[in-house]
Amino acid sequence: MVESTAHSMSNPFREDLVARSLAEPCTVVIFGATGDLTHRKLIPALYNLAVDGDLPTGVKIIGFARREKSDAEFHAGLEDINRKVSRSGHDPQVWNPFVGTVSYHQSAFTDADGYRSLAEKLDAIDEARGGKGNRLFYIASAPEFFDDILIHLKDAGLNEAGDGCWARVIVEKPFGTDLATARHLNEVVNATFEERDTYRIDHYLGKETAQNLMVLRFANAIFEPLWNSKHISHVQLTCAENLGMEGGRGGYYDTAGALRDMVQNHLLQLLSLVAMEPPTDLTADGVRDEKVKVIRSLRQWDTPEKVAANVVRAQYAAGHVDGVPVPGYREEDRIHPQSNTESFVAVRLLIDTWRWSGVPFYIRMGKRLPKKSTEISIHFKDAPGVLFNADCGGVPGGNVLVIRIQPDEGISLRMVSKIPGNSVRLESVKMDFHYATSFGKTSPEAYERLLLDAIAGDATLFARRDEVEEAWKFIDHIEHAWHQSNNPPPMAEFDAGSWGPKEADDLLLQDGNAWRRL
Amino acid sequence: MSQSLTAIPAVCPELGLEVPVASIDKELRKLWEQDEARTNASLMNLVVYSERPGALLKNSAIIRDFTREHACRAILVEIDRAIPEPGLRAWITAHCHLAHGRKSVCCEQISFYLTGKVTGRFRNTVFAHLNSDLPLIFWWQGELSEILTERLVSVMDRLIIDSSTWADPGASFRRIAEASLINVGLILQDLAWTRTWQFRLGVASIFDDPAAQRALPEIERVEITCHPDHRNSALQLLAWLAVQAGWQDRKAEDGFAFRSLSGAAISVGLAEDSAAPPLSSLILRAGNKSACISQANGSAHVERRIEAPDYRVTSLAPADPSSPVDLVALQLARGAKNPLFHKILPRFRQLLESDNASH
Repeated sequence: MVESTAHSMSNPFREDLVARSLAEPCTVVIFGATGDLTHRKLIPALYNLAVDGDLPTGVKIIGFARREKSDAEFHAGLEDINRKVSRSGHDPQVWNPFVGTVSYHQSAFTDADGYRSLAEKLDAIDEARGGKGNRLFYIASAPEFFDDILIHLKDAGLNEAGDGCWARVIVEKPFGTDLATARHLNEVVNATFEERDTYRIDHYLGKETAQNLMVLRFANAIFEPLWNSKHISHVQLTCAENLGMEGGRGGYYDTAGALRDMVQNHLLQLLSLVAMEPPTDLTADGVRDEKVKVIRSLRQWDTPEKVAANVVRAQYAAGHVDGVPVPGYREEDRIHPQSNTESFVAVRLLIDTWRWSGVPFYIRMGKRLPKKSTEISIHFKDAPGVLFNADCGGVPGGNVLVIRIQPDEGISLRMVSKIPGNSVRLESVKMDFHYATSFGKTSPEAYERLLLDAIAGDATLFARRDEVEEAWKFIDHIEHAWHQSNNPPPMAEFDAGSWGPKEADDLLLQDGNAWRRL
Repeated sequence: MSQSLTAIPAVCPELGLEVPVASIDKELRKLWEQDEARTNASLMNLVVYSERPGALLKNSAIIRDFTREHACRAILVEIDRAIPEPGLRAWITAHCHLAHGRKSVCCEQISFYLTGKVTGRFRNTVFAHLNSDLPLIFWWQGELSEILTERLVSVMDRLIIDSSTWADPGASFRRIAEASLINVGLILQDLAWTRTWQFRLGVASIFDDPAAQRALPEIERVEITCHPDHRNSALQLLAWLAVQAGWQDRKAEDGFAFRSLSGAAISVGLAEDSAAPPLSSLILRAGNKSACISQANGSAHVERRIEAPDYRVTSLAPADPSSPVDLVALQLARGAKNPLFHKILPRFRQLLESDNASH
């Protein structure tokens, strides 16, 4: 999915070995190495790449963090968590040489000396490797340190690679909290690294079904001719979570809300994959050029009235999930008792392009819904009813193509069939494809795929600057109407464990539609 | 010793229920109607063909494991050439597994036991019981025979063979080339080639390292150690190295030798070790530098090692399984076409001829 580099071209043994971009030897520096993300996701992902033999020979990993720690203490902490969470278990025979490539570098994120000594450490690694080497910086720290880290990397000259080598940066979400902060962050990032070396990670795009979206659309001749306003009635994207604010997550969540936490990034990224035009090629920019056009074409809800008409926000009240009583949002741990943050949002989106004119896209995301489920459903227009409507009891709901992202990844298609018997009566039936049933092999974790892509220089599954900023532009209007206008749209309420407020149902009902029953 | 037509009982737990050939589809339907909680899954037609006595029972056990990861309609075929009178028996069964501890996912298996002159009957029997629209993977076990005709090959999507089991690989590859003339899209997969996978990946990985890459033009010797039964894998690995690095053949007193792109001589040492895995080591030497891929006997890992004065890098990769069924599963999991094998095949056949001449 990426152009071959001069490096890979000079290794003749690479030809035709793997149908993916080449992951080259490099040193990975993780900022925020003592944090949860490093322990639970990044190191297990790198370890699992090593288990599968996909981690390039000669990779070194440096954990950069503020706390005093020896290498041995750092290793012990990583091993402890890896044993619990690693997808492929924990094999000391692989772990021991793997962890031997990992070292700890203690420094405050704001201490210039720490970056200078990091540079010396990196130079020593490169020297041993026989010259300049490749470097991947993963910023997994708290967002308030993003600026400091990037500025110090530049000051220490770590943002530039030697001849034939590369220096890349992976930035974790949130990419800002609004358009202004996103622009600021992007300016700092791009003052340090070229945009082509910047990888904004959105782990939803690393999921197997998300990657399969393009294959489904563009490798099957039967879908694309129907993929437009002539045949599609509407599209729904649902991201339901049954959890609330357990584990102290309320502190962050109450400052973000459903719209900024999930819709701005994950759901708009999925939407763009569903709605984009076929890219001219599969290069990162070929795909992202088409994705950003979708976000750019979103009709803006730029007045409180438009927001009130097209967006529903809500909080859950006390209720029951899985039969267990749960508190309301404002009674949750670390949530302000008068919080005005939405735990649920439903949005009607219109994409002003030739292909999607008049087709509403509905997004709903919420905490404390009845179950955990993320899916995209494409609702096709009904067939003309002249044949079956009158005498056959009507045609039941039309064709729906469902792409399940999690759990139980797969694809299903609902169609209408005749009920066996002497009379012509119709019923909906479902064809169902489950990844787990058809492919016994488990998919790699999203972080494994994305880390390998970043090492290989394939940015297809990462968000580009303009995508992020266009998404914030759309989101900012809504946030402004909610929090800064004189007539903010109301906050609805629903019982925890239900499928959201009545207002969200009404949003679709106005168009003659209804949320899909999950 | 061949089994007779009556050697397998009508109700054989491993093969399932014996049914008249004409009723196979009807009986399969009945099988699924008995339990609606089960999901019938299939991504391919997998024909497992053998002329070895007792192959049906062995292959049925293999398919039971195989279907844990590869949903398929399995068609097992055993031909008994020792019995001249024509005969045909069939059994049906399903292999069911709990997917992620929840849903019971099942795959159908049809087993055929044929005797007498079988070429046309065999072909028609297989064709009649394929799941439509799904690819046909044909796993041919053992030596090729006259049953591998152009007509048969024309319906295959993928032909899996194991050249390490052949007495005369040169002749067998010629037979395949002739039989596949009209099926230019046939994907040919040799398990001997599959056994070289981790070694090829290891070489590629080592030469991603800039230090190793600089030494590539300086390579002066290649050493491969293999099990005596897997000399074909060693030759295929050697053919791959030569094709990818652009080495030309050079006359040698005994064995093989190459000339590099710059004209430098490259000597080859091919050693056999009957206590070793199919491939146990590959060493590329360039002066005082070396790149080595090795697998110790019984180890679950392949070691990749670069050694030079003041520079040493070692990493591990998972060793591929060595049993034929695991190798087939691995091939199917990797999917896709196999252009690299077709690319090295002519060179491999040349090396085979040289090898035969020198032995």
